[in-house]
Amino acid sequence: MVNPAPQFAELLARPDIWRGRCAEAALPAVASGHAALDAELPGRGWPRGAVTELLCDGAGQGELGLLLPALRQLGTTGWLLFIAPTYALHAPAWAAAGVPLDKLVVVRSPLSAMGRRAKLDALNLLWAAEQALRSDAPAAVVCWSAQADARAVRRLQAAAAPSHAAMFLFRPRCHAAHASAAPLRLALMSGTDGALDVSILKRRGPPLGRALSLTLPRPALWRPYVQDVRHGVTHGSTLARGASAAPAARRPSPATLA
Amino acid sequence: MRLPRLPLDAHPQLRSPSAIVERGRVLVCDEDAAREGVRSGMRPALARSLAPSVTLLPRAPAREAAALAALACWAGRYTPRLCIVPQAGLLLEIGGCLRLFGGLENLRRKVSDGVREQGYAARVAVATRATAAWWLAQAGEAAQRGEGGKGGKGGEGPCVDRAALPAALDALPLARLADELSPACVARLAGFGVHTLGAARRLPSAGLARRIGMAAVRAMARAYGRTGGDMGDLGDEQVAPYAEFVFPQRFSLSLELPAPAENAVALLFASGRLVQALAGWLAVRQAGMQECVLHLEHRRLPATRLPLRFAEAVREAARITAILRERLATLALVAPVESLTLEAEAIVALPGKSRALFAGESADPEGMPALIERLRARLGEAQVGGLVLQADHRPECATRWAPQGEGGVASPSSPRPLCLLETPQALSEKNGRPQYHDPCPGPLVLLAGPERIESGWWDAGECEGGAESVGDLRRDYFVALSADQRWLWIYRECRASSDRAGWFLHGWFA
Repeated sequence: MVNPAPQFAELLARPDIWRGRCAEAALPAVASGHAALDAELPGRGWPRGAVTELLCDGAGQGELGLLLPALRQLGTTGWLLFIAPTYALHAPAWAAAGVPLDKLVVVRSPLSAMGRRAKLDALNLLWAAEQALRSDAPAAVVCWSAQADARAVRRLQAAAAPSHAAMFLFRPRCHAAHASAAPLRLALMSGTDGALDVSILKRRGPPLGRALSLTLPRPALWRPYVQDVRHGVTHGSTLARGASAAPAARRPSPATLA
Repeated sequence: MRLPRLPLDAHPQLRSPSAIVERGRVLVCDEDAAREGVRSGMRPALARSLAPSVTLLPRAPAREAAALAALACWAGRYTPRLCIVPQAGLLLEIGGCLRLFGGLENLRRKVSDGVREQGYAARVAVATRATAAWWLAQAGEAAQRGEGGKGGKGGEGPCVDRAALPAALDALPLARLADELSPACVARLAGFGVHTLGAARRLPSAGLARRIGMAAVRAMARAYGRTGGDMGDLGDEQVAPYAEFVFPQRFSLSLELPAPAENAVALLFASGRLVQALAGWLAVRQAGMQECVLHLEHRRLPATRLPLRFAEAVREAARITAILRERLATLALVAPVESLTLEAEAIVALPGKSRALFAGESADPEGMPALIERLRARLGEAQVGGLVLQADHRPECATRWAPQGEGGVASPSSPRPLCLLETPQALSEKNGRPQYHDPCPGPLVLLAGPERIESGWWDAGECEGGAESVGDLRRDYFVALSADQRWLWIYRECRASSDRAGWFLHGWFA
């Protein structure tokens, strides 16, 4: 007769057993680099072998900055695959952020006859993401898709489940109301003070009522120039108009300029 | 390994039933034809009356030779030493590689399954002497033909070790070796009451040589592996009765299709033999290739060239087939394909991989290069790549698209956005202030700047790769914040002469 106790413990360690508030059951995950977010994510980080849906509209809100610490960490040991980024990636910024470019592979959309980049069609995009997950070669897959529907997400999740890759899928916020097979769904929105407001729409475990406000490194905070402006020093005559339009404080708000 | 149906199997994807005709007689036919009563040795007219739908083809020795050469290349994955028996089969020397393939039974199964997968009927026999193995395969096949009266589907021949070899050979009826020893010699032996090989062996060799000729006695000696003793001294004896197969220096193999192929699926199947042969050839040369070209030849139009590129040197047939499948799926055929030619290019040395000592160490079965080449095969060569830092102060030129990304240290003194617009987007200006457009229109707040980026006269007006170079510029860049809290990288064009004056959005601090 085998002692039943260790078997029960093994059973509880399974990632597909849901145990109410005990969300920290050992899930394979990679630390997101944001302590406040890690505390709320099951597995204490971005899940590996699962699709993480990031719902956000447009660019410039810090949506990539949110992923940077995890990508930096995953890039040290594995490959990073970016599929159909909305905008061209600027290599100096990525290198400065510490992402190893030699481990970064980008699938970009083809150049159309007009010389402009057409959207990679949804079918090929989905195919590429699925191939990547099934091969289990990259450590992280980041995919931008406006067209991916619920079925596509379900397929991606099925492909991601046996793999070890962290899959991030960017979709527009309008999908927030629809059901999705992704086990983790976050809605991103830029908050005041250069912060990023993250609301967890879905996670393994109990729902989280409040939005998290994460502080991301922002370009203007690195610049000494803004402080010069605060001290009343004006620089350069070529663009006096632009300089005077700069805010008086590190924390800009349109009201101060109205 | 004997290929009893080689004249037939040399034509891939024949419609069944079919048969090969030589000198006015059916030489060999497939199972469906045999079921309808077609036998070898029949006249074509009789065969056609028995099976009206039968396809009768003349024998094509050139095609058979090509098929054997392809098969020899394929077998190169198992052993580098092999012989082609013209129009009949292959002899593989496997003594040296038994361990590598996990024992005799495993290797034998691999070889016979591999041949069958390529659509050949084969009969495999194993013995410690080449001639003996060949005769055993031959006799087994003849026995099958005798029983079933069919062309012989192939199958497992006997597998005989050194101690049992003389006994196994002794039992062989001479009538079944008529093709090997000449028919006249078999008839003469039968004339003096010798019907098995064993009985013939026990005769005094000098007298036997006088009666049936030296060649037959020599062949028997080779089979038994005796150069002296009761068979007499027959001088130097080579292991194999045929010349060793020399693998070609350059791989270029053609396959003529029996009927013009119009869809990619048929082509993929037909090219399977070529890919298998290529993989074997690469294994013999301890090499991998980075590129191969499949030529699809049409009747009138010039051949379609289908290059397959690989992210790293490859040797495995499965990987080549995977890429080929993607390329063929997206290929639009201009005309039906008559024949295929596969050529290997960019051959590089590729040493074999060591196996992991412990199970589970090989966590990465195919890896990123295989994934990259699969993506490229479907999406296009230029669509998958990496980023390389370029030492250029102009933002448009600081990133270079390359097949493989390269690491580098970038320490820009001022902030750079993660995302860059390929063509800067014009922003309107109101009260001397840049305005953000939808979805949240309003004035932009300038947080940092200006950062002057200028000059670049050296490549002004040049064209590279069809696109005009960036050329000279003079811009003041600012970090800006929109009303809905997005972080932008914008610039103001400073060249007075420029027709594109004003504010532009160039990047996102995403």
